[in-house]
Amino acid sequence: MNFELDEIFIEEDSRASALARRVIEALSPRVPIRFVADARAATLADRNAADPFGKGKRRMVIMRRRGAFLMGCPAASARYACCGYLVLALASNCPMDCSYCFLQDYLADNPGFQVYSNYADAFAELGRLAAGSPERQFRVGTGEFADSLAFDSITGVAREFVEFFAAHRNLTLELKTKTDEIDGLLSIEPRGATMVSWTVSPERVYRTSERRTAPPSARLRAARCVLEAGYRVAFHLDPIIAYPGAEDDYPRLAEEILDTVAPEKISFVSMGSLRMTPALRTAARRRFPDDPMLLGEDILCPDGRYRAFTPLRLRLYRQIADRFSRAGAPVQTYLCMEPASVHRRIFAAEAPTPADARERLCCAG
Amino acid sequence: MTTLEAEQAIRALAGARQLQDPYLKRWLAREQAERVAMLDAARKLRLRTGQLAVALDLLEEIAVREGAGIDSILSRENLQRLIESKGPAPARASAFIAELRAIRFPRLGATLRRLSAEISALALPSGVNVVLPKDLNSDELVIRISVRSPDEFDRLMTMLAEKRDGLARLVRMLGGDDEL
Ligand code: SF4
Repeated sequence: MNFELDEIFIEEDSRASALARRVIEALSPRVPIRFVADARAATLADRNAADPFGKGKRRMVIMRRRGAFLMGCPAASARYACCGYLVLALASNCPMDCSYCFLQDYLADNPGFQVYSNYADAFAELGRLAAGSPERQFRVGTGEFADSLAFDSITGVAREFVEFFAAHRNLTLELKTKTDEIDGLLSIEPRGATMVSWTVSPERVYRTSERRTAPPSARLRAARCVLEAGYRVAFHLDPIIAYPGAEDDYPRLAEEILDTVAPEKISFVSMGSLRMTPALRTAARRRFPDDPMLLGEDILCPDGRYRAFTPLRLRLYRQIADRFSRAGAPVQTYLCMEPASVHRRIFAAEAPTPADARERLCCAG
Repeated sequence: MTTLEAEQAIRALAGARQLQDPYLKRWLAREQAERVAMLDAARKLRLRTGQLAVALDLLEEIAVREGAGIDSILSRENLQRLIESKGPAPARASAFIAELRAIRFPRLGATLRRLSAEISALALPSGVNVVLPKDLNSDELVIRISVRSPDEFDRLMTMLAEKRDGLARLVRMLGGDDEL
């Protein structure tokens, strides 16, 4: 993808790392590079900038990660029917710019686009996870605080993880993306241990709200390519936005997914409606005042997030779920950040426990 | 009204109402026709500080949603009727804000009207109340029964059982059931 970087900061400690060398080779001298002893200050928001978050996206910071790489999904909560996902933080922030992105609030104080040079330390954490509970399946994703593939043509990190996961039978890697940057994946043998998942939206949402992402049709084409290369594929319809016309566009999108990937080849489909904390809503509207997708019929829900009012939102879920249920083969479908009662209404079944969901989503497809 | 006159008048009104600076800036940043239309409405309806802020928020949001100018939104018949009518300003101002909300949340309004009509059609006995979630922000329907004697309780439970299908239908509607 086309990076728009203003500058790169590299911590002295990371200067000799493989990752720093790859970045320097790919981007110097086009983008100015500065070496600093401690890059943490470079990750902070420039409060004097007109758009501190947008400016942070354009400042790549290559540094050591000080904390653990592996953590629970930040969306997990006893309130929701949950999928038992683990997050591997290899980077923080994203070169694309979706108007609804939760990172606008989550990373408001430190929006610098961090990429961690000591990512190989994550292998030890993952090894301990796999060995500690060999009977359990774990789904681990790198796409929570960043897009999994947006910078991979430069860093080449995904390949090492695909190979690591291929050697651990109770670990599943999920690479989640809105790009079509798959070239680095096609020559590796994933042995069923990596799924590449695409967040997909109708064309209308892509045009208004998903800057610098690949068009939805390109994402679907990329999904077919990685499937043919031996990867599992999954789709996130998230956020689902209840704009006028969404009732037609989302089932059509489901149709397009099914036209591209046979239902029995889809590992899962997740659905989640647009949800925004008041702080995220304020930040997003300030950055994108002319985006109509941020101005839906959203109301404050009991969990403190704005969502489309309940009957409207549930009708959309049902229409999409119905389309997948008529696919000719079962497609694992689940909801993200919705209470168990909503799950029951949409699927006429109890929501699985996080442990059950983890097993099912790791093994499906 | 010239651009300068409009700006002076808006600043004077905002000053008198102690409108917060960010709102004033947003108001002044609009096109001249929009600024003046808003000024006209604010004067004729004698909008108070909070109402002025809410009206600006709603009008800006409607403008983005519909791709329309604030002046053209305010020129709609239902809003003009409220702006130009002769009744007491506080009542007209409240009705004006309610009308803006209805334009901003059209499907929520329509769904609420449909649900309220269903509830009325149930003709529930006094002592039984059906409470919809605020702004339909959840799928939970609350049915409240007030009784003062065991006999009354038996009577209401019997009547409630007779309304079972209608109540179940309401619960389904809250879940966005399409067949309804
Ligand atoms: S692609 Fe994902 S992480 Fe990147 S800006 Fe969009 S929503 Fe945020």
